[in-house]
Amino acid sequence: MKKSMKLGALALASTLSLSLIAVATPSASANTCPRKATVTMLGTIKPEIQDQFLAAVADYNKSQNCYTVKSVPGDRKLTFLQNVTPMYAAKNAPTIMYTLQEIPDMADKVLDLKLTPLARLVSKSLLASGNVNGRQVGVPSTAEAFGLLYNKKVLDKAGVDPSKIATRADLEAAFKKIEAAGKKPLHFSAIWWSLGAHFTNIFHTNVGKTKEARLAGLDALVAGKANLADNATFKNWVATMDLLKKYNAGKVNLTDTEYDASIANLAGGDFGFMFQGNWTEPNLITASKGDDFGLMPLPISNNAKDYGNDSIPVGVPGYFMIDAQQSTKWQQKGALDFLTWLYTSPAGQKRVAGPVEEGGMNFIPVYKGFKIEPKTYMAKEISKFASAGKTLDWMNSYYPAGLQEEVGKVSMQQYFTDKISAADLAKAIEAAWKGKPKTWRGEAA
Amino acid sequence: MTRARSIKKFLKFAGLPLAIFIIVLVVPFVNGFYYSFTDWDGFKTTKLVGFTNYTESFADPRFWSTLKFTALFVVVSLVLVNAVAFGLALIVTSKLRSKNLLRTFFFVPNLIGGVILGVIWQFIFNSALVAIAEKYDWEPFKESWLQDTNKAFWALIIVTIWQSSGYMMIVYITGLISIEKDLIEASEIDGASPLRALFSIKIPLMAQAFTIALFLTLRSGFMAYDVNVALTGGGPFRTTELISLHIFEDAFAEGDFGTGQAKAVIMFLVVALAALVQVTISKRYEVQR
Repeated sequence: MKKSMKLGALALASTLSLSLIAVATPSASANTCPRKATVTMLGTIKPEIQDQFLAAVADYNKSQNCYTVKSVPGDRKLTFLQNVTPMYAAKNAPTIMYTLQEIPDMADKVLDLKLTPLARLVSKSLLASGNVNGRQVGVPSTAEAFGLLYNKKVLDKAGVDPSKIATRADLEAAFKKIEAAGKKPLHFSAIWWSLGAHFTNIFHTNVGKTKEARLAGLDALVAGKANLADNATFKNWVATMDLLKKYNAGKVNLTDTEYDASIANLAGGDFGFMFQGNWTEPNLITASKGDDFGLMPLPISNNAKDYGNDSIPVGVPGYFMIDAQQSTKWQQKGALDFLTWLYTSPAGQKRVAGPVEEGGMNFIPVYKGFKIEPKTYMAKEISKFASAGKTLDWMNSYYPAGLQEEVGKVSMQQYFTDKISAADLAKAIEAAWKGKPKTWRGEAA
Repeated sequence: MTRARSIKKFLKFAGLPLAIFIIVLVVPFVNGFYYSFTDWDGFKTTKLVGFTNYTESFADPRFWSTLKFTALFVVVSLVLVNAVAFGLALIVTSKLRSKNLLRTFFFVPNLIGGVILGVIWQFIFNSALVAIAEKYDWEPFKESWLQDTNKAFWALIIVTIWQSSGYMMIVYITGLISIEKDLIEASEIDGASPLRALFSIKIPLMAQAFTIALFLTLRSGFMAYDVNVALTGGGPFRTTELISLHIFEDAFAEGDFGTGQAKAVIMFLVVALAALVQVTISKRYEVQR
């Protein structure tokens, strides 16, 4: 009994003294670290560029002596919260976390990054989704866009100029031209997250010209006062979905294996279009060994001048957060050091914005001072939309946790496979929103 | 032997397993029971909420539909897995020459983890069968089975049979070879047909094996999770969601840890009751030798 108490006291004393050392050490300048701290990150940024991200981590680990960054794989079939909650319960929280919709759920557990050098390098609008009640709980990774992706070669051959497509009727005409050229018009995927997050966003973002009008649209849904079935934007949006369903030449597949099939179809040059985002570009380029893929707006009405028809949704797909509850000061410092290195050092920037073929992530930079810009055709197209101000909000970053699953896995897939009517779809979306917390008005998740 | 000595002796042998049992089973179980009465959000609890989580669980239509679906799944898989397993056991205990090879062959799927099995079968249903069906104009497989609510159910059943009948076969083999040979020989001499011998001698004498195998399939049917996640993911339209997956989604995807935990407790009671009834009934048919 006595022996074990002594041991315990000794262990306590030694941890105390160690933590004293950690506190007393001024800063983590190279070569002066008492010991290496291991900084864990849950998963990587995204599976498509996992190898490239891990290569960046390896570069960082080689570049300095104080920290070792380690990516701990999560279960990809599960959501961020499904992965992170057990880790917190086991007192084994990752130091770096990366997510979007779950930011409000995590806000009280992570560091305020407002005064960090990184936060000062990003524009206010891009920081917005990572700001909860005045605390900057996350910093962005990149900008992404989604809309209609196209295979340039197929469109050129069919004589379709994507920049001339301004209405739904124009789009249908383009589909017909592609068919006439002996190719398949589009692969419209029934992947639940594509339907639940991105396709529904096309509706929510076209609801109003101002941010306030769009948020009011969400308010009405939460209050149960939105009448979607009679909403003109909703009707147009459904008509667009009907058009895409009609010309979809891909085999309907409701499981996640669908993603690879749709990439292969567009990359293979048999299909003209698909509804996705620029995150597919690394896969497309790798699969086709060419760089002939562009991105254009999805027009949802027959009036070229209507709001949104000439714009693409551009937003931040995810924010980095640093745990404040279960990581040591040392680990938190290391996490920030790694992220700063990634977005400000030449070696880090090369990994972030460099071409996929050379081990880069092909990200569109959102931090000031980037010396490297992505050079692919699609990235340049997106930059053109961004600099012309033709961008739409990612309303999907406001969706309450669990909603895109509810809508995407059930009602959207049911409508996709003609199991329910447009009126049922309207009701289902209304039901999914009703009574949810308005995180965009500062309500707790 | 004094009382203290006998306790000491008991602890010497059973102490460690007992401690492990308490730490990994009893403590989490009691803890979970407690959580079902709190407003636990996965990270912290602030107060006790009484039976709120239970009333909310009962008011959730999705809970009832998954419970009904699970019951159907349990009944169908229970019957089919055991029928197939018993059939396999009869084959490999017959006078067949390749019986040892077949034993291994039938048992192997049980060694593959449920998630991997689910992914493999997802490929079979989604791509392989569809491609073959298109080539040979094979109507029932032209559309992926995982797309259709009813067919996805049968896909789940097929994979479950594939996975667990090999294991149950081992249980039945043990039952079959424990029957004394002279009883079978005596029935042959008395002129009983093989079918008659099966129903009047073999099955009654191995009723114990049925009790065990039925209990195991009942329990694994209620608890099925990995194949469900990997094969259908609860789809299409969340119609093939078994209760374990529903509880998990409720807790982790929607953040309702309180109701998720309450549903888990309800589930425990349902399984315990079903198992108790099944074992009591099966026991009646066992022959004491």
